[in-house]
Parts: sequence; C-alpha cells; structure tokens
Amino acid sequence: MGNIIEVQDVSRTFPVPGGEFQALKHINAAIPESSFVILKGRSGSGKTTLLNIICTLDKPTGGTVRIDGEDVSKLTDYKKEELRRKKMGFVFQSVSLIPSLNAFQNVEFSMRMAGIKPGKERDKRVEECLRLVGLGNRMTHMPAEMSGGEQQRVAIARALAHKPKMILADEPTAELDSAMAAKVATLFAEMSKKEGISILMTTHDVGLMGAADYLIELNNGERIDGGEN
Amino acid sequence: MLGIMLQKMWHKKWMNLSLLLGFILLVATAASFPLYQTGAYNRMLTDEFDHYLSSQGVWPAQLSLQVSTKKEKDGKTIKTMEAFIPSIYRDLDVKERDTITLYTMTSGEVSSEYERNDASDLSARLGFKSHLEDHINIVNGRMYSDSGLSEDGAIEVIISQKCMTKQGYLVDEPMVYDAIRNFEGKPLRYKIVGVFEPISAGDLYWNDKETEFDDLCLMNEALFRDSFLGEKAVKYSFVCRYTALFEYDDIKADDVERLKKQIDHYAHVGSYRNVIDEPPILAVLDGYSNKHSRISATLTILQIPVLIMLAAFLLMISGQMYEMERNEISVIKSRGSSRLQIFLLYLYQALSLTGLGILGGVPLGMLLARLLGSTRNFLIFDLSEQLTVRFDKHAALYVLAAAGIGLLCLTLPAIRHSKVSIVNLKQQKALNKKRLWEILFLDVICIGIGGYGYYNFTRSSADVAENVLNNKAMDPLLYLSSSLMIVGLGLLFLRLQPLLLRLVYTVGKRFWRPAPFIAFMENVKNGRKQQLIMLFLIMTVSLGMFHSAVARTIVENAVRNTDYKDGCDLQMKEVWTEVVDRNGARTGVYIEPDPAKYLTASFIDSYTKVYRLKDIEADGGKNGKLSINLMGINTKEYGSITWVDKKLNGKAYYELLNELAVVENGLLVSANFRDKLGYKIGDSITYKKENSGNATGVIVDFFDYWPGYAAEESVQQPDGKVSTESNYLVVAHFEYLKSKLGELPYEVMAKMKEGATAEQIYEWTEANNMRLTTYVNRNDDLEEAQTDPLLQGTNGVLTLGFVVTLILCGVGYLIYWIMALKERELVFGVLRASGFHKGEVFHMLFLEQIFCGGLSIAAGFGIGKLTSTLFVPILQKVYASSSQILPLELISDSSDLIRLICVIAAMMVICFLVLTLMTFRMNVAKALKLGEE
Repeated sequence: MGNIIEVQDVSRTFPVPGGEFQALKHINAAIPESSFVILKGRSGSGKTTLLNIICTLDKPTGGTVRIDGEDVSKLTDYKKEELRRKKMGFVFQSVSLIPSLNAFQNVEFSMRMAGIKPGKERDKRVEECLRLVGLGNRMTHMPAEMSGGEQQRVAIARALAHKPKMILADEPTAELDSAMAAKVATLFAEMSKKEGISILMTTHDVGLMGAADYLIELNNGERIDGGEN
Repeated sequence: MLGIMLQKMWHKKWMNLSLLLGFILLVATAASFPLYQTGAYNRMLTDEFDHYLSSQGVWPAQLSLQVSTKKEKDGKTIKTMEAFIPSIYRDLDVKERDTITLYTMTSGEVSSEYERNDASDLSARLGFKSHLEDHINIVNGRMYSDSGLSEDGAIEVIISQKCMTKQGYLVDEPMVYDAIRNFEGKPLRYKIVGVFEPISAGDLYWNDKETEFDDLCLMNEALFRDSFLGEKAVKYSFVCRYTALFEYDDIKADDVERLKKQIDHYAHVGSYRNVIDEPPILAVLDGYSNKHSRISATLTILQIPVLIMLAAFLLMISGQMYEMERNEISVIKSRGSSRLQIFLLYLYQALSLTGLGILGGVPLGMLLARLLGSTRNFLIFDLSEQLTVRFDKHAALYVLAAAGIGLLCLTLPAIRHSKVSIVNLKQQKALNKKRLWEILFLDVICIGIGGYGYYNFTRSSADVAENVLNNKAMDPLLYLSSSLMIVGLGLLFLRLQPLLLRLVYTVGKRFWRPAPFIAFMENVKNGRKQQLIMLFLIMTVSLGMFHSAVARTIVENAVRNTDYKDGCDLQMKEVWTEVVDRNGARTGVYIEPDPAKYLTASFIDSYTKVYRLKDIEADGGKNGKLSINLMGINTKEYGSITWVDKKLNGKAYYELLNELAVVENGLLVSANFRDKLGYKIGDSITYKKENSGNATGVIVDFFDYWPGYAAEESVQQPDGKVSTESNYLVVAHFEYLKSKLGELPYEVMAKMKEGATAEQIYEWTEANNMRLTTYVNRNDDLEEAQTDPLLQGTNGVLTLGFVVTLILCGVGYLIYWIMALKERELVFGVLRASGFHKGEVFHMLFLEQIFCGGLSIAAGFGIGKLTSTLFVPILQKVYASSSQILPLELISDSSDLIRLICVIAAMMVICFLVLTLMTFRMNVAKALKLGEE
C-alpha cells in the first residue's frame, strides 16, 4: 500500500511582531491509502496549520508535501484547485454547507465540482452517500432545518460523494456532543475501508482516538507521538 | 453607553459612513430645493424687473407722486410731502436709487425785454428739477450760475431745445414774469442763459410727460426754494412732482408679498392714494407672484419622489445595519438589557449621525443649489451662469424636516429589533416569506392607478393646456400617475424575475456548472432580500430615462418654438414719422429712417426688408371678406435669412419661396385661410389697406407654417376661459406691395455674423440714435427660454434627483453586496477550499450581478422607455408656454441615453470590481476558521 500523503521535513513560520513564530517544526508524516488517521493535539499545537498545508491552502516555509506522489509545491494555483476538487473532500469544524442548497444539492455539488457527469448514476451516488450518513430520509431539507450533527453528516456525505482519494476533516466533531462525535469517528473508520478513502481528521477529543488506524500527535509544532509514518 | 455606541459605530464604520452619506445627501437635497428656489425666484424677480424696464422704458421700482398747492401761507403741503418721500424708502425697506423732484409754478404770461416782431403771447413756467446738472448737456449758452442770479439780479434759467424752437427764445434774452413779484413787489426778471438736451435719451431721469419742458424755464434749486418757498417769500401755487426710484436688485423674493401689500396700501388705501400714480411695480410683482406659485407647486411635486427615495435609502441601510447587529442585540438582550437601553443606544447613534449629516449637508446643499441654477438641460450644466444662494429660514426649515425624517428612519426599526431575542432570531433567519406588497398585489394596484391616470389625462388633454394658460400649476395627479406607473411596473418585474430565473434554471438544472448553479440557487433562495435594492436600481434607471425625456422634451420644444417664433436672428423696426398736413391730419405718408446704417452694421451678415401689415381687408369675391395679416418679402433674401423646418409644411420652405418668386403678383396663403374661404391655387384675392389703395394677387400655394406665424392664438377671456382666434396670413412680394400700396414702414430682418453680440447691436442702435418699436434677438430669446425658471427648475430638480438616486443606488448596491458577501464569507471559504477556481468565483459573482443588477437595469430601461412614451406627451403640455405654436413632439436624444448608460455602467463596473477584489482578498483559511473558539 502506497502513501497518499507524504509530509517531509515540513516547517511553517509566521512573522509576528518582533520575530517569528514557528508553528510547525520539521514535521514528517505519511498517510497510507484507505486509512483513518487522527491528527491530535491541543489548540495551537499546529494541527490546523499542518492540515492547511496538506490541503494546499497554505505553503510550508520548508520541506515538501506530496499528494498522490506529486510534489504540491510544483503545482500552479489552478492545478492545486483541481487537486482539491477532484482528489480531496473536506469537512470543516463549523457548519460548512451552502445554505441556499438542500441536503441533496449540497452533496451533489461536490460531484458537479469534480466534473462528474449528470445522470442517474450521479443521483444514485448522492442518495447512497446520504443514506450512508443516515440521512436518507432528509434529502430535501435545507441546512437551516437540520441540527448541527445532521448538517455535519451532510458535510461528510458531501466530502465523499465524488470519491476523492482523501478526506481532510478539521475538528469535525468540535461542535457535536460526544455521542454524535463518536458516531462521526466510527463513520470515518468505516468509510476509509468501504470506499478506500484516506481520512485525516484533526481533533483534541481523546475519546475518539480508538477509531483511528494511526495517530499523529503534535505539540508546539513538533510531532511527539514518535511515529514513523 | 456612549462608549458602547462609539465602539459599535467604529466596528461598523462602513455602514455608518454610508448612513452618514445618506444623511448628508438627504439634508443637502432637502436644503438645495428651497435654496435653489429662493435663488431662482430672486433671479426671476430681477428678470421681471429688467424685462419691464427694457420693454416699457420705465424704471419699474418707483413711486411717483404729484401734488398741486394753492398759495398756501404755511407751505404745509410741501413740508408734508418732503417729509413723506424719505419715509417711503424706510417703510418699504428698500434702497434709494434716486429721488427726482420737479417743482413748477403755474404758467403765466411773460414778456421779453427785446423788441419781438411776432405778436403771439409768450407764456412760461419757472421751476427746478433736482440734480439737473448731472443729466444734461448745454448745447447753447451756458449753465445757470451757482448763485442762480446774473450780475444784474435777474434769475438765470435754462430751457430745452424744443422750448427754444417753439417759443422762439434767444440765448441771453432777458424776460419779465409779470405775474410774479419779488420781495420788493417788482415783476420778476429772468434771463435765458442756456439751452440743454438730455445726455442720453434712455436716461430714466427723464420720466416726465412729453410736453413738460415745452415752456419750462429751469432755475437753480436753492434759489427757487429761497425765493418762493422761504419764510419771506410771496406765496404762489405750485405743481410738485416727486419720483422715488428704488433699487430692484435688492428686492428679494421674500419681500414680494410684503411690498405688494405696502405699495397697494400706498396707492389705493392710504391717505396719499390720490396723489400717487398707479405704481408700475404692482403689475411686475403680480406677474411674478403668478409665475412663482405655478413654479413652486410644480417643483414641489417633482422633488417629492427624490426625498422619498432618500428616506427609503436610510431605511434600507439602517435595516441592513440592524440585520447585521441582530446577533449582538439579541445577545445584549439575553444578558438583561432593557428594550429602552437598546433603543437609546440606537437613538444616540442616530442623533450623532444627524448632527454630522447637518454639518455636511448644508454646505453641500448650497453647492447643489448653485449647480441647479446652472442647469441647461438634463445632466447638462453651464457653470458660467451662477446662482446667488443664501441660506435662509426656508432652507433651515427643510433641513430640520429632513433631519427629523432621517432620525425616524434610523430609530423606528430599532423599536422592532429591540424585541428580538436570540431565541426567535434563528427561526426568523430561515424564512423567505412573501413580502407584503406581493400579497397585496401592490404592483397591479400601482399600474392600475397609473394607467387610469394616463387614460384620464389623455382624454382631457385640453384641460391640461388650459391650466397652462391660466398659469395654474401641474396637476399633482399627472406626475403621480407616471411615478406610480414606474413603481408598479418595477414591482411587477420583481414578481416576474424569480419566475424567469427559475425557468432558466430548471431548463438546465442538472447540467449547470458549479458557478452558475450556485448563482441560480442563491437567487432562488435569497432573491427576496435583493428586492429593495433591485427596486432602487429599476427606479433610478427608469426615472432617469423618464426624467431625461421630460427635460429634453420640454426644453427642446421651448427652444424650437422660440426658434420658429423668431424665424431669424434679428428683427428690428424703427419708428417712422408720419407726415401730418397743415391741419394736423394724418396723411399716410411716412418718412423712412436712413436705411444706409444697416449696410454699415458690423454684426449683420445680410438683411432684408419685410412688410408686416395688420388688419388688411381681403376680398375673395364670392368667397367673402376677411381681415388678414399681409406680409411683403423679397423672396431670395428672405429665404436666406429665415427658416422653417421642412417637415412642418410637408414641403421644403424654399420650394414655397420659389413658387412665389416666379409670379409677380403671387400670393402664399395660410392653410386656415384656404379652409375658411375655400380657396384653391390659381384663385385671386383682392386686398385693401385703409388709406392706401388696393391690389390683387394670385394664389400660388398654401402653407401651414411660416416663420413666426401662428395659425391660432389662444386668448384668455375676462372670465378666465380660454378661446382661440384664427390668424390668416397672406405673403406677397415686397416690391409689388410697395408699388400698389405705397411706401410703408417696413421691418428689417437680419442674419447675424458668427459671434455677434447683443452689446454690438446695442452700441450700434445708440450710435445711430435709433428708436425701435420692434426688436427681436433670437439668441436672447433662446437664452430666456432655457433659463425660464420653470424649465430650468424642472431640469435642475430632475437632474439633481437623478444624480442623488444614482449615488444612493451605487452606495446602496455596494453596501448590499458587501453585506451579502460578508454573510456568505464562510460559503466562499468552503467553495475556495473545495477547489473553486478564481475564474469560477468571478463567473458566479458576475452572474449574480446580472441576475440582480443587470436584469433590474434592463427592466429599468424598458420601464423608462414605456413610461416616457406614455406620459411625456401629456407632461410636456404642462410646460408648453401659452405661445406654443409648433406641434409638441416627444424628443429623445440618444446622447441622453448614452450618458445614462455610461453613468450606470460605470457604477456597476465599480461595484463589481470592488466585490471581486473583496472576494479574492478573502483569506480562505481564515474564513473557514470563523467558528473556532
């Protein structure tokens, strides 16, 4: 099994008044295909920074990131955007559905973005994904008509609908109660196997760690779990 | 509390800045209307005075009094009068320009100390006219000495040239006034030392009756007073004439009613009424008041929509602000603040905005008023012509009213919003309810009322014309109908637009690429939020179009009408003296003033002589008799100097002239004459001028329009009803008329050289000592037509209204979209993170602008066009002068449309650029982390 994401010696510093703040210090990590990886750490440990760099929204000040074997620093903005819309799915901490679209349309939208042709197949896939997250009966509901947990599950369905190589989830459980959070973590674990998608999720909720295949732990910008991958 | 307010305001500085801008504009617009009107009325008043002066040759702002005294012992009458005159200026509160006093003694027999060989009796009057020396030239002899007495003790007098010829005086002729005795009881001796003539014929000092100086011997004022009015003087009878001239430039519109009342009291009620001549100023002021009331009513109607738009803008922005601050309000409320506290917070904010708005709005309003005063056409200004604008109590009242309305717009929504707590906030946010107007079918109602108004006014367009003649103001319903029509159509569009978009969306539902998909869905879901700003856009564009059509049409029609009425650059007719026979009877023979001067006039390119004869009796044999106007022209010259628009006669003007040119006794006849008496080409007409013989001519063609010719004249009857009278015009050859009817006073029509000025003409007429009975200068008339306060005020208000709504629209649109984007920041973050390309963001924004702005603007143009076509023809009747001759025409100038499109396109491009830039500069990562603790 190859690594879908390879992070090599990645550093990130931010200029701050009177010097620099080193958010990431020489991080190495690799995420294999079809695995569920949790990026763990306290607030300010650098996990979101790392996630932003992996999803090409941010650039490292040192080191390289390879996605699916490709050095992303060599990609143009346009190529990066193509990479994000075709090979990645995203779940964000806060409600990230498009409010003017209903559940079905929100899920369908990521497939439109990925350039998947319209037709029965596409509609079936949308329904399949929504059923997978347990919302098969709420497809025509608007985001405003759903609870936070339901919205987050729609977001997950959206993230996987276009069959990306990986899903990057930034604190997706932060606004959910613990039962719902556990449900989401289990869902991720299941999907990584069922759909063959690598999932990288940041969290500081220790209760969820058990569901993951691997753990990467950051503290003050350094990897402290000692893991090799 | 103050701290919280300042913090809150700083936090939403853009919002507050736009509110402030709205406030400043509201105050400025509200102030500019009365400021402009006062300025324009002052100018109009001065124009009315000027006009009276130039047409009547009499200083309009004057009071003349004349008393005769009968040998009063105490001289009480004169004393009273001399005290009264200065009090006039004080009481009327006007600036004295000049006070002219003329005292004369009654006429008496005089005898010369010379041996005279004519037997006729000499009679003379002694008198003085105040500061005479400033207004005369001595043409013969000398002025009377400072003491007024010659060395031998005789009174020195001067006389007019006319008196000299008429009485046959000699300079230095010693005279004896038998009826008047000096202190010693001896007959008064006086001596004619000089002959005078007025320095200038136009001098307003010479306001006396024509025969006044025929026998008047003028002497030194001091000596006159000493000799005849002093303590020891023998008492005589006098005629005393006082003329109080006051400056009219200083009379302001505000003074008019007071002056009218006071002067009317002087002339018709007060104790001096019997000695005061009918004051010319009353007629001028009455004329002014009539015009004033018509203009002010019309302009008031026109400015209301602008003020409503301004208030709506404030409501919209403050609504947006409350929308944005809902969370904060509900949080504050949940933490236990009372509604009153929240309300006060907004009240303080509104008060500080009001204060700043007044500070900024008043100077801007003065600037706008000045700009209004230099309006020439829609969106066209002539900055060389400035209006004097002074802030007065009217303006202050308007400013206060505007500030009050603004304050209400800002604070009223706070009452509603202060009720909302965090609980019901979320529920409300999800709703996309039908708006009240949709439920009430306000669009249909507005269109209905507008349509009814249109139907009604089309049917009764004669009433509209009658109102014009009666100097009545525009019927507010007329303007209201057109405005309602615009609002109704705009709302109807808002009702239809979502259906249209939904249709387009449904057609390609599954195939839409991400950018259009989001754009469509956003509009489908949140379209109603955009309705207010869309209505603003529609109104701005359609009112802009409508108003530009109104402005263009009324000005252009006035200009064309003036152009037609004048028919050439310059017309002049001199006074021809009629030769009188020995018995003083008229002979019908006139003396032609020297025609050579026209050849030397530097400003004349070419000129022609024209007969214009009135009350000619035309005898068409079996066709009957009719009184006509007869015109005699030199076809070739006349054709090169005058013009008539080709389409008016359905035949080129020169063709008519050519037809006339080849027939020596040919006649061109107005079509109404043909219709009246059933003439056809080839018929002959015999026409006759009283005392001048007759002629017969053959009709060569008919015309509807001829330079300056009006087939019908509207005449207002004493009972106020307007009736029309027909004018019949027959045009013949100048030389033919001359040979048949004899030499008659002719008029000169001229083509002026490029750049010739009225000053040149004035100097030339002065230099040639011309007395004109007719003077028409087309350039002056055109200028007058364009600066007519009603037309200019209308143009100004419409232009200002357009500029203001445009600014509001631009600012409102930008604010709406900035807010909308801010609200969707998270969505943009999600989209960008999920790999939305910049091009797609651009595409999406562009489509959203098209759906909201583009469609609204397109609808605005359509609605503007429709409303103009329907209502401008009716509206322009309101502005047509009573002397409108040409058929009224709807005039639209493509340059107006292009200007409008440019301005609106510029606004949209700026908005779009700002929005795109804003989206691109949005930090995706930051947007996504918005919810982080």
